[in-house]
Parts: sequence; structure tokens; C-alpha cells
Amino acid sequence: MSVIPYHRVNVLTGIKSARLIEDAQEYADLIQKAKRPLLVLGPLLLKRSLDGKLLIEYALEIAKAANIPTCATAQVRAKMAELGVKPDSFYDVVEIINALKDPNWRGVKKEGNHDLVVFFGIRSDLGEQGLSVLKHFAPHLKTMTLCKYYFPNANYSLPNFRKDEQWKAFLESLIDNLKKGA
Amino acid sequence: MAKVKEITRKLEEIQKKIKAEIPWEPVGPTPMPEIPDLRNWDMRLLKTYAPFYAPFCDLCCFCTYGKCDLTETRRGGCGIDIATQQARWVLLACLMGCSAHAAHGGHILEFLIEKYGPDKKIDLGGSINIEAPHIRTVVGLKPETLGDLVIAIEYVFKEITHLLDSTAMGQEGSYLDYESKALHAGMLDHVGMEVADIAQIVGFNYPTSVADTPLIDLGWAAVDKSKPVILFVGHNPATSTVVIDYLRENNLYDQVEVCGVCCTALEASRYSDRAKVVGPFSRQLFFIRSGIADVIMTDEQCIRTDMPIEASKAGSALIATLDKAMYGLEDASEMDTEEIVKQMIEDKKHFAILDPRKAAEVAAKVAMEIAPQRRKEWLTEEEARELSQKCNDCGMCEQVCPNLFNIGAGIAEVAKGKFDLIREQFNLCVGCGKCEAECPRKLPIFKIMQIAASKETWKVRAGRGPIMDTEIRTVGAPITLGTIPGVVAIVGCSNFPDIRDIAEMVDEFAKRKYIVVVSGCSAMVAGMWKDADGKTVYEKYPPNFDMGGVVNVGSCVANSHITGAAIKIANIFAALPLRGNYEVMADYVLNRVGAVGIAWGAYSQKAASIATGCNRLGIPVILGPHSSKYRRLYLSRKEEDDWRVMDARKREIVDTVEPAPEHLAYVCETKEKAMVMIPKLCIRRNDTPQGRAIKLNHYISLHKKFMGGGLPEDIHLFVRRDPDIPLVYKKEVREYLQKIGWQPREPVGLPTLIGTYPSKVPVDAVIH
Ligand code: SF4
Ligand code: SF4
Ligand code: SF4
Repeated sequence: MSVIPYHRVNVLTGIKSARLIEDAQEYADLIQKAKRPLLVLGPLLLKRSLDGKLLIEYALEIAKAANIPTCATAQVRAKMAELGVKPDSFYDVVEIINALKDPNWRGVKKEGNHDLVVFFGIRSDLGEQGLSVLKHFAPHLKTMTLCKYYFPNANYSLPNFRKDEQWKAFLESLIDNLKKGA
Repeated sequence: MAKVKEITRKLEEIQKKIKAEIPWEPVGPTPMPEIPDLRNWDMRLLKTYAPFYAPFCDLCCFCTYGKCDLTETRRGGCGIDIATQQARWVLLACLMGCSAHAAHGGHILEFLIEKYGPDKKIDLGGSINIEAPHIRTVVGLKPETLGDLVIAIEYVFKEITHLLDSTAMGQEGSYLDYESKALHAGMLDHVGMEVADIAQIVGFNYPTSVADTPLIDLGWAAVDKSKPVILFVGHNPATSTVVIDYLRENNLYDQVEVCGVCCTALEASRYSDRAKVVGPFSRQLFFIRSGIADVIMTDEQCIRTDMPIEASKAGSALIATLDKAMYGLEDASEMDTEEIVKQMIEDKKHFAILDPRKAAEVAAKVAMEIAPQRRKEWLTEEEARELSQKCNDCGMCEQVCPNLFNIGAGIAEVAKGKFDLIREQFNLCVGCGKCEAECPRKLPIFKIMQIAASKETWKVRAGRGPIMDTEIRTVGAPITLGTIPGVVAIVGCSNFPDIRDIAEMVDEFAKRKYIVVVSGCSAMVAGMWKDADGKTVYEKYPPNFDMGGVVNVGSCVANSHITGAAIKIANIFAALPLRGNYEVMADYVLNRVGAVGIAWGAYSQKAASIATGCNRLGIPVILGPHSSKYRRLYLSRKEEDDWRVMDARKREIVDTVEPAPEHLAYVCETKEKAMVMIPKLCIRRNDTPQGRAIKLNHYISLHKKFMGGGLPEDIHLFVRRDPDIPLVYKKEVREYLQKIGWQPREPVGLPTLIGTYPSKVPVDAVIH
């Protein structure tokens, strides 16, 4: 909870900031409650691994467990092809955000715009800017992040995990919870 | 009645200024355009390429009504909303950038007119007749002397004032109008840059009308540190040229080493091929902290604002030579030279000296005096290891790093005697110095980085200024038909995600026979790589503005020659008049010149205005990931947007369906994605089937290379008829097109946006 001073005109930071969530169950519930979620996959997923398992593999498990359509940005699709998975859509990050901003967009499944967009693996500066676009111009949807750090411009974000193990535990627990809920 | 009179008077004034009576070309509809004059063109562009805002801050603190929170649908005390506030910021950034170049141009002009008088002739050599495509197009003037350039720069100054005025609290209230103003500022920037570089070429005898300019030694290790070293930092060559003159005249040039960081280095090397180019802006702090420079001379733009502190720390002497950055130093311009030298040596005092002659003499004397007493050795691995011991891997440095990597991990490895990680990380470091400032244990991170920096030396080709008219005649047809697949301009600053990306991109596109043009810091780092034969891209590829050439135009202000080349194609090759005829030029470039700018490491406001100027002229720009902080892009939605054009031959509006070019300002997260976007953004509606097939061949092959095989899913939008399909991929593409129910469509004979929006320009004007 952020505390806003009474005379906000002089001191307000302006950040309508993300709700910080550490409980994987709560994340899973939010994802499962969404009618048309979307998982946006960024190129950092190809660069980093946790305990020898590439982040993209966690991402794909999440997508599978919760049956969320995916959007592959940058060269993520190349790795997915290697893993034998076809993304549901290909847009680069600024393009998918530009589309999401439009309430009348029909979404990657042509069933209507998404109500929850989960970002995973976008470099934090670009990700934060993209989330800012949606915070200001896409009141029709909510955003969530799965990266290791806190993203204030999202609606729901993980904390700054100091250790990879904490992050890994979260992702694993999220996958378990999504499987249980499915 | 009063209004008509006023307009007539204004027109008369303009005609006088641009010497309209000299009939080198008829004067077009918009000589010396003011804010509203090209607004309809801007609005037409913005309709397809809508501004995409990524607010960097939710607040406004411009006036005492604030701070105002503009989150979501809120408005500030003056009524502004978040989108308009972003557009206002963009305009401000463009104005800062435009002013930097224009003031630079103004200063150089003053300096040269003082020396040669206003009647000094502009002569850019036998192969350049269209000496100033921007000034001719925008201002409507054919500049013949330095004095004529003053007319152009004064026009720019005046427009800047009007634009800046509109950003004050309680003025413009439309983001689209702010964008139109930003586009205006961007256009003016290219005029200002052109003034600056033409003046420099004329006044300092830089190479011109020549392609194979000398190859210059590049890299920090190229600097001979056994000699007294004078380092120039910044952009403005008024100082470096005078210092070199002084050394030559006093027979000291053999004894003193001159080098530069950032564009001023490129300028010095255009003046003397013995001047060394240390590297881009991102190596500034690294090199200064190495202590190799005995005297640092700053001029303007892209100089660190803590220079006096850094110079003192490194034991270097500092002279600030321009009024733009005086650092609170004592102005010694009137002081006795010997007295300045004495105080600089004995009291280690820094000075501002605005008289270049005096600054030159002081620099030489101080450098020669203090050099022998200073240690100038690179750190050894053992010393680095020793210095790294204190690191406890706390991660504070990672938190402040704008390139988002953990230098602390590299330092911790050095402490164990392992250097691979830090060597890798040195390629990512953009040289901001924040890590060292943050480190609670005060580790000298930059010093430690000395063992990570390659001691290799490289080559960069000296900047050659404008593209020659003769070259334009050769490439005009193949570029507009598409058989030269595109002009790829890799330009600007050094906030790179990875410094190695630039040479890789240059190499990839030169190999593919694009015309690759480079400038500024990007031109330097393009040279910081060697192939298996030990050759840099400048040695590997020819220096001509032709298929497969790699052309360094010069410093930042030389970017005007790249956009100028696009105008020259319309003017020289297509024989369209350019004088006061901006819309026709921009329309031609947008529809027919397959050029794209890549500002992969853009960080400054100057990059914002240069890019925005490219956009108004119809040239799309790809930016690196950091550039999302510029707050605004121009994006289309290819499936939804309006891709109708006028076919000027048939006089009918046709829906081309093809998003060509797809975006005007675009951010890519990775170089792989950028390399797939480059060929796509070179596609133009005017491509012949043969040209289109060549462009699509590169688009598909780069897509396959970086995106894991398969065809780009938007390929059908760019295939008009079967002959557009590249031979190698014929079968695969045909199958795909059949699967999705693609239908052939007629290419447009003479595509133009003129006639699709309200404009004073008649459709006839685009027919050549
Ligand atoms: S300029 Fe407008 S939005 Fe900004 S602080 Fe003043 S009233 Fe608020
Ligand atoms: S801040 Fe200093 S001590 Fe901490 S990790 Fe970085 S270099 Fe090491
Ligand atoms: S100087 Fe380099 S390592 Fe340090 S914070 Fe800046 S970019 Fe990161």
C-alpha cells in the first residue's frame, strides 16, 4: 500500500503504482478469473535460466497450465519453433501494446480485446514504458508482470526478489496453482 | 483588407530574403514556412502514423499550479491531459536538439565570418552543385556565400522562438498540434545542421566532393600516451582547428598528440588526418578517468557536466572553450597567457578561455609542461584484482545501471582473477558512471574497467560531407525502382544496448548491397570491429554512395547530408523543383525513396529532433530500446489504417493495402528484430516488380535467419502481383498466398499523398 500525503498537490509522486503480490495463489486466481488473458513473451526469456531451465520454458508451462494465448515479441518465436511450440500471435512489443490500447481491437483470438495482459521477459526500461502506455490509455484492461523486479506501472507486480530462488519458487508455485485450478 | 496587406508584406519580405528575383527555380508554395504552413502535411502523416505515447512521468511540474497529476484521464490545472503533456515534452526535446545544432551553426558562422568576411564563397567542389538541399527546399534560398547562410540560420532562430513559446503554461492544447510543431522543429534542425556543416567544410577546408577520405586511427589505444596529450570533447570544431593550426605553426605537431571524444573528434579528423578518434560519447568518462589526457578542452554538446571535478580527479588540466558550458570557471579570455599557464600548472586551476587562439596556446604549453610528471599507464590485471577485493557483491551498482546489467558481478570475478565477464560487460557499458557513484565501498569501477577495454586499434573513415550529385545521378533510378534495396542510415549517439550491434548491422546490410551511411558516434563504433582478415567495415567495403558502400558523412551535423541526399534524388534524378517546395519533396521521399534511419543508441534531445526531422521528410526511423524513454513513437496499425494514395497519373484514389513504410518512429528491443524491420521499412509503393522482389528477398531471408524460419505473416500485404515474389521463395510464398486467399492487385503508377488531404500543392506538381 502506498501512502498518499493529504496535500497531494505539493508532494505527489504521480505513480499510480502496482499492487505488489507475493502470493502465487493470488496471482493464479487473478489469471483464472480473467476472461481473455494474454501472455506477452519477451526476449529476456531466451537469455536467462533458473537452475538450468530456460525462462521461456516456465513461460510456456504457465501458458499451458492456464490455457493463455501467447504473443511472441522480438525473436522469441525462433526459440519457440525450436521447442516445437507455435505462438498464438507475433507482434513486437510496441505493436502489441498499440493494439491493446484500442478497446475495439479483437484480440489475438479475434474474440475481443484482452482483459488481463501478463508480461514476461521484456527489458525493464522498455517494459515499464509499455506498461505506462496501458496504464494511461487502456483503462479497459489490467496488466501483470512475471519478471523478477517490481514494475510500478503495472496493475499487479512481483516484488524485487533479491534471490533467484525466491523467484523460481514463485513461478513453480504459480504453475502448480494454475494446474490445480484448471 | 488589413489581413491581405499584412500577408503581402510578409511575402514580400520573404521574397527579399530568399532573393526570389534570382530565377534558379520558381519559388514553390512554402518558402520559409511558419508553424501553420505545413500543418496539413503533418496531419496527413499523423493520420496514418498516429502518435503512440509512453508517459515517462505522470506529473507535470511546469508551473506553480502544480505538481499536477495527469494519470489516466485527469487534467492539469491549465487543462492539459497526459497525451498533450507528452507531446509538449517531445516538442521541448526537439527544440533543445534543434537549438543545439542551430546555435552551433550560428557560432561557426560568426567565427568564420570574423575570419573571412560574409562574402566568402560556398564551393563544395566539382561534384556538388546542389550544395544545400535543405536550405533550398525549406528556406527557398540558394546560398552562395557565408553571408547567405546567416539568412537561413536567422530563419531557424526565429521559428524556434515561436515554437518554444507554444510550450509555456496555458497555450497549445492539442497533442496533434504539438506533434506538428515538433515535426516543424525537426525540419528546422536539418536546416540548422546543414548550415553548420557547409560552413565548416568551406571554412575549415574539410574534404568534399570525394568519397575515399583518409582512414583515421581509432580507439583509446591509438593515442600515443608517451607524448603530451590534448583531448577535445564535444562537437564544435572552432577550437580543435585552431589548436591544430597553432601546433603546426609552432612546429609542435610532432611532439603533441591530439585526439577527441564524440563528434568533435570526427571534426578534428576531417581537419587533420593525424588527429585520433578515441571513441564515442559512451567512452568519455572511461577515457577521462584513465588520466591519459593532459589537457582536456571542452566545447559544446555531449560533454559531461561534471568535467571540472573529473578533470581534477584525473590530474588533467581543463579549458572550457565555449560560452555554452563554462562550468562556473573563471573567464580568462582577457588574462595574460603566461599567467593562465602558471596558474593551471602550479595551482591546478581550470579556466574558461573563449578566445580560441589563446586557448590553443595555453593548452599546448600546459600539456607539454605537465605531461612528463603524470603517470599514464593502463592498469595491470594484478592491480585490478587488488582494487576489486573490497566488493561484497551487494548489487547496489546493478540497481542504478541504465543498461540493466550487474557490473558488480564482473568486479567480483575480477577479485578472483577472472576477467571474461567484465570484458563482456564493457561492451554493454554506456559510460554513465552511476555505478561508481552508488557503490557504498567506493570501488573505482571505471579504473578497473581498464583491464576490460581492448587495447586494439581500429580505423574510421574521415567524414566526407555531402553525397555527390554525380553519385545521386547513378543511384537515383535503382533506389526509386527498388533495385538498390535501400539506404540504411545508422546514425547518432552511443546509448547502445551492446556496442557491437552497430558493426554487425553495418556489415549485414553492406553485404546485402544496401547503401549504408553512418555518422556521429555510430560511425566510430562501426569501425571498432574487425573481420577474420583484420579489416574494419571501412576497409572491407567501398566508400561510395552506391550498392554495398559504407559512407561516413561525418559528425552529427552531417546527418543533414543523409536527408539531403533523399531530397537530391527528388530534385536531381526526378527533376522535381525543390525551392520552397517541401511537401512535394517529402511526399516523393515517403513514397519512393527506400531509406530508413537507425538511431540504435539515441540518447540526446538532438537525436529526437534529427529523427523527427527525418519523419517529416517521410523517412522512417528505428530506435533502440532505450528510446522508449523519448515518450513518443509514430506507429501505424497495418491491418486497420488508411493506405490509400492518389495515383497521380490516373487521378484516382487507390487503396494500396500496403503499409509502406509501415511505421515512422519505431522502437525495437533487440538487434535481431531491428534487422528484420530494416528491409521492411525500405519498401516503397513505387517499387517496380523487380525492385520489390529484391526487397522482399531480404525481408524474408532476414526473417528466416532471426525469427526461426517460416515466412513473415504480413508478406501478403507487400506482394502486389506474382512478379513481386522473389525467385528463391516463389513456391513457399505462392503456397502461403493461396492458403490465405490473397488476391493480386495493380501497382500504382505514380503514388502520392498529394490530393488525399487539403493542400495548396496541386497533383500536377508531383509529375516529373
Ligand atoms: S503547466 Fe498545467 S499541468 Fe503543468 S503544473 Fe502548470 S497547471 Fe499543472
Ligand atoms: S556497488 Fe560496489 S560493492 Fe556493491 S556490488 Fe557494485 S562494485 Fe561491488
Ligand atoms: S557506467 Fe556502465 S556499468 Fe556503470 S551504471 Fe553506467 S552503464 Fe552501468
